[in-house]
Amino acid sequence: MAFPNIYTTGIASGWKVIDASSLKAPLTLDAEVAIVGTGAGGGVAAEILSRAGLSVVMIEEGPLKTSDSFKDMDEARAYRDLYQEGAGRATSDGAISILQGRCVGGSTTVNWTSSFRTPGQTLAHWASQHEVAGHSEKEMAPWFAKMEERLGIAPWAMAPNENNSILQRGCKALGWESHVIPRNVKGCLDAGYCGHGCPANAKQSMLVTTIPSALEHGATLLHRLRVRQVQHAANKVEGLVCDALGPDGRTPTGATVSVKARHYVIAGGAINSPALLLRSQVPDPYKLLGKRTFIHPVNLSVATMPKRVDAFYGTPQSVASDQFQWKDGVTGPIGYKLEVPPLAVGITAGISNLFGLELKKSMAQLPNYNAVLALLRDGFVPQSEGGQVRLGSDGSPILDYEVSPYVWDGIRRAFLSMAELQFAAGAASVRPAHLDSANYTTWNEARAAILALPLEKFRATLFTAHLMGGCGMSENPRSGVVNSQGRHHQLANLSVMDASTFPTSLGVNPQLTIYGLVAQNVSALAGELGAKLQ
Amino acid sequence: MSRRSLLKVGFGFTAAAACTAILPGLAGCSSSDKIAVAGFRFLNAGDVALFSALIPVVVSDVAVLDAAQRTQRIHTVLGNIDAACSDLVVHQQGELRKLMDLLAIGLLRRLLTGVGNWSDASRQDIEAFLVRWRSSRFATLTAGVNALMKLTSVGYYVLPDAWPAVGYPGPLKYVYDAANS
Repeated sequence: MAFPNIYTTGIASGWKVIDASSLKAPLTLDAEVAIVGTGAGGGVAAEILSRAGLSVVMIEEGPLKTSDSFKDMDEARAYRDLYQEGAGRATSDGAISILQGRCVGGSTTVNWTSSFRTPGQTLAHWASQHEVAGHSEKEMAPWFAKMEERLGIAPWAMAPNENNSILQRGCKALGWESHVIPRNVKGCLDAGYCGHGCPANAKQSMLVTTIPSALEHGATLLHRLRVRQVQHAANKVEGLVCDALGPDGRTPTGATVSVKARHYVIAGGAINSPALLLRSQVPDPYKLLGKRTFIHPVNLSVATMPKRVDAFYGTPQSVASDQFQWKDGVTGPIGYKLEVPPLAVGITAGISNLFGLELKKSMAQLPNYNAVLALLRDGFVPQSEGGQVRLGSDGSPILDYEVSPYVWDGIRRAFLSMAELQFAAGAASVRPAHLDSANYTTWNEARAAILALPLEKFRATLFTAHLMGGCGMSENPRSGVVNSQGRHHQLANLSVMDASTFPTSLGVNPQLTIYGLVAQNVSALAGELGAKLQ
Repeated sequence: MSRRSLLKVGFGFTAAAACTAILPGLAGCSSSDKIAVAGFRFLNAGDVALFSALIPVVVSDVAVLDAAQRTQRIHTVLGNIDAACSDLVVHQQGELRKLMDLLAIGLLRRLLTGVGNWSDASRQDIEAFLVRWRSSRFATLTAGVNALMKLTSVGYYVLPDAWPAVGYPGPLKYVYDAANS
């Protein structure tokens, strides 16, 4: 049987869902709270506020795509429909590829389901270095527990697929730490297509959980609608001006939507949230907007295994290693988390950086490939200040990100760790994802080659799927765009509720941090708005 | 202008674009070259010539197809490349446009790539260009060749026709069947 499309039945039962591409005339909407963005932050905010009895309007730039659109399980369709810039988003110089969602549910619709609580070290660092209050490990614990229960988050109980088993075996052989990854799934079929949109509604993304719940409680969802401007005067937001986008999801149709609310929640994610506030010229007396944008820079190592791995099938991420995460403390040389990526065909071609017979030979090895990735924990020391969001000529966001020597040092150590691990797990050969690398057949050979690799932009393959910061939180208005509750320091009725409020990166995949932090902050907001929490 | 002095003008395609602004007269660029080809949103005639030459060199599986199939496959990949470029923000489209305009102008192309004309360039010529840019000490050229190779290889390998050669059996069958029953 096909999987039920919850939106078909929901809309038939009276959910207020408006595809802005169909608007022929200007529209004005009033609500108690307007939420910009429907990812991890916007989704949780919408559910809590609408269940508290407040009228909520949700605005999403991307399209509403549901399980019916995902049943082809096709990579190209997913990139086109569900990702920022068709998955072609990158830093301004093109050196770092950026995978970020752009659809109802945001990145939660396309992420790989890894759900970690924020490390205690990170929360303690925020408190001591960035004047963040109310988010200690102890204070956050009940909010994480609440969201874990809401989204079915639990350590993956099935056996890992071979790609993840290799990480587990390698760690075991070397005596390194590894752990099973908690995932936000219910009834997961272990297919491996999380990144293409879950065809079975098993992933407990915002698309199938909090947004339907908000709609059930009377919220309105507008999609294919881009917020052009946050209008403000006298330290208050007065409204949102939005442009409807055509069926291509990119081209404005000319129809505009005006939204008026008592309170405004910005949840467009890092990059888009600071860009919206920048192009709206909201007060920014200390020039903080868009600065300190962190990305967990990722590098990769590809192993050819003696047996089939089929890394395109099975739960994409179920095992991780923190062996190198806190080894040198919170503020020592950069730490990193080891995980594996699923290897869809297109993405594998994209990271291979080969052509002709070399590309053909490499791609023919796909079933035997294992890939390991390192997420580098940027932003914890002064020499890792992150990137900066600025605006293109049409107001669209641009991210500048320089890779500091501090980060390059971690990239080289991570290349070494990943190769050592892959050989320990039985790899026949290992190739770091770098233009000047080759297939090395022994750990000694790989180690010597990695130590000599020129670490430069465009030569090392780098990407990110974790965008954080740019509207950092701090109790001190001189160091934060918002306070610890996400309230804007200058505009009274404006909050930011997404990963852009993180003062640094995390050291873990970010979704559960966003869920817990936003649940806590938006519950406080609901009270301030006079609502009763259920 | 020697190759050395040309390459030294800048880091990023801005300087190269400055050259392209000066040189169209020399190269005989007509304004019609700047308009997207019918059916495409981003690629103009010059870009189509460039990628039509690149695709079978980057993806050797395309080179071995018979002429009719090859033409059709190249057209499909061009469509994917065009869609990928169309989805980018203005800044990134501008960077790509500078790169592709640079590669469309005869004199600059010859200096930077050694290729006279995309439509009759040999495989060896194009391979030499890719190798030269990949190994260049100028980050701008490495960035450029990475972008061209990524657009081309991803544009091809997301096609179901590409999958038998790489051992991907297609969407996991029991889930696909359940979702499509």
